[in-house]
Amino acid sequence: MSIVQSEGINGVVDFNNSFAQKRDKIIIDTDPGIDDSMAILMAFQSPQLEILGLTTIFGNVATEDATRNALLLCEVAGCPDVPVAEGSHEPLKGGKPRVADFVHGSNGLGNIVIPPVKSKKSEKSASEFLVEKVSEYPGEVSILALGPLTNLALAIKRDSSFASKVKRIVILGGAFFALGNVNPSAEANIYGDPEAADIVFTSGANIDVVGINITTQVQMTDMHLDQLRKSKGRHAKFLCDICNFYRDWHVKSDGVYGIFLHDPVSFVALVRPDLFTFKKGVVRVETQGICTGHTLMDQGLKKWNSSNPWSGFSPISVAWTVDVEGVLHYVNEILMKP
Amino acid sequence: MAERKKIIIDTDPGIDDAMAIFLALQSPEVEVIGLTTIYGNVYTTLATTNALHLLEIAGRTDIPVAEGSHVTITKGTKLRIADFVHGTDGLGNQNFPPPKGKPIEQSAADFLTQQASLYPGKVTVVALGPLTNIALAIQSDPAFVKNIGQIVILGGAFSVNGNVNPAAEANIFGDPDAADIVFTSGADVLAIGINITHQVILTDADRDKMAKSNGKLAQYICKILDVYFSYHHDAYSTKGVYLHDPTTLLAAIDPLLVTYVEGVVRVQTMGITRGLTLFYNKQKRFGEVSEWCDKPTVKVAVTVDAPSVVKLVMERLMHS
Repeated sequence: MSIVQSEGINGVVDFNNSFAQKRDKIIIDTDPGIDDSMAILMAFQSPQLEILGLTTIFGNVATEDATRNALLLCEVAGCPDVPVAEGSHEPLKGGKPRVADFVHGSNGLGNIVIPPVKSKKSEKSASEFLVEKVSEYPGEVSILALGPLTNLALAIKRDSSFASKVKRIVILGGAFFALGNVNPSAEANIYGDPEAADIVFTSGANIDVVGINITTQVQMTDMHLDQLRKSKGRHAKFLCDICNFYRDWHVKSDGVYGIFLHDPVSFVALVRPDLFTFKKGVVRVETQGICTGHTLMDQGLKKWNSSNPWSGFSPISVAWTVDVEGVLHYVNEILMKP
Repeated sequence: MAERKKIIIDTDPGIDDAMAIFLALQSPEVEVIGLTTIYGNVYTTLATTNALHLLEIAGRTDIPVAEGSHVTITKGTKLRIADFVHGTDGLGNQNFPPPKGKPIEQSAADFLTQQASLYPGKVTVVALGPLTNIALAIQSDPAFVKNIGQIVILGGAFSVNGNVNPAAEANIFGDPDAADIVFTSGADVLAIGINITHQVILTDADRDKMAKSNGKLAQYICKILDVYFSYHHDAYSTKGVYLHDPTTLLAAIDPLLVTYVEGVVRVQTMGITRGLTLFYNKQKRFGEVSEWCDKPTVKVAVTVDAPSVVKLVMERLMHS
C-alpha cells in the first residue's frame, strides 16, 4: 500500500493530514566536520525523518567545536530547537584526542567565518540523551554515528538495555580488508577510540557499518561541486564554501580532484539500504600495538576448531558493495533540493 | 644447461611440506642443498625426523638436514602445533619406521648463514613454517640479508581472513616477532599468502589420478593425504586440499607462476590480531608518521596461475 504524503513548505510533512506517514526517529552522533555537515543538512532536508537531536564528539574537531558547529547547522537548517547534547571530550581510555583539523580546517568548517550561534546546547550529556531517547521510544530510534564511538559506548555502559532497545545503528567507520586513512591499518573514526568501537561492535545491537572501502568509491568531483554551487539547492552555497578546504586536502592526500562523501554515503545507507549490499560477520577492533584501530571481520568462511577472540559475539552487517551511481544520484537530488 | 638454483627448504613436515620437498627433488631447475627444520605442523624434533624420513623415501640421504629452533624468537615455549591438520606424526598417521639418518651438528640458523656466505646471492630459502630460523640467521649474521639470494615465504593472509583465526595465518601466528624481523630485514623477500594458496586446490579426482599412476612419490603422497583431505572437508566444506607449500616451492622455481606487488609488510605482534600481516603499497599518502614508514619493501604475491601449479605438482610427482 502506498501512503500519500503531503508536504508543506520547506518539505516539512503536514501532520494534520491523517494519511501522513509516521516519520523515522533518528539521532546523529557527529563531529562536524565538512562531510558531516553535508550529511546533517541532508537529514534535515529529508521529510521522512524526525531528528530527535544531535550528539557531539571529537574527531574532525574538538568536542566543544563540534557542539558549536552542530548548533550552527541546526540554525542553518532552520531548526534551532533541535537539541544538541555535548558528548565526551576524550576517548574511553583518556588522553588528548586526535583531531583531524588538517582535513576540515581549524574550526571544522573549512575555516569559513562562522557567525555567532544563538542557541544553547542541551543540559544533558550525549550518552544521557541517547539513553533517554532510546528508552522513551524503544525499537524506534535509529542512530547515525559519524565520529569516534565514545558516546555510544558510554550509552551502552550506562544502560544494559540500550543495545536491545535501539532500532538500528549505522556507523561510518573502519576499513574492511582495505587500507586505513590514518595509517595503513586504521580508519580515523575507529582509531579515535578503538576501545569504544570494540564495545559497540560486540554489543549485540542491530548494526550496519560502512567502511572507507565503501565510502571512498563515492566521490564528488570538481565538476559535481561546480554543478552544486550553481544549483538552487537550499544549502548549496554554504556547503560549497566549506568544501573548498576539504577538496584541497583530497588533492594533496589522495590525488583526488574532488571529495570523498564518507558521511553522506553513511547517511544514504541509513535511509536507502537498498543501494548497498551487506555481509554479516563478527567484527572486532584491535586496541594494542602497531595495528591499533584495525577493524577485523570474520567472514565465516572457515569453521574454527577452537575458540578465538571473535567467538561468541553477535554478527553485524558490514557494507560490502555500493551502487555508486545510485548513491550519487540520491545525494545530488537532496543537496540540489531548494 | 643453466646453473641450477640452490635452495634450502626451511620446513615443518607436514603433509603439504612433504609434497613440496618431493617436488623440489623432482625439479631439474633446482639443487636442494639442505633442509632446515622448524616447529609448526609438528614439534621441531619430529620435523627433523620427518625430514630425514622423506629424504630416505626419495633416496636422497646425501642432502643434509639441520635442526632448527625449538622455541620462538622471544624464547616462547607455548607453541601452536597443527597436528589436527597433518596427523600426530605430521605425515597422515602412517606410523612410518624411524629414519636411519641423523641431522648435522650445525643449527639451522648457522647452516643458513654459512651456505649464504659460501654462495653469495645464489641461495634461495623456501620458508614453509614459522620464520624463527630465518630471523635467527638475520640476527646472528649482519651479512645474511645481503648474502642470501631470495627468501620465498609461505605466510600471511593479505586482505583476507587468516586460517588460525580471523586475523592470522598459521606460519606467521607461530612466531609473529620473527616474521616482523624477516619482513623488515631488507632481504629480497617474496611472500605467498593464503590469499594465493587458497586458489590452488588439489581435488579428489586429482588425487585418484595420482594414486593410479606408477609414480613412487605420487603413491607415497596419496597414502598420507587422507588426513589432510578430511581436515579440509570439515573446516572448509571443500572436496579438495590447498597446496600451500607446493605453490610456494614452485613460485621459488618459476617466478612467472605468480604476479606480485611491492610494499612494506608489518606483522602485529600483540593483542587479538596477533599474527596479522598488514601490507602497505605506498600508493596512499598519510599525513602522519606510521610504523610502515621508512621500512624496506618486500614482494607480495597477488595472483597465481593455479592450473599450471596443480599440473606441475601432479606431473612431477607422477613421473618419479
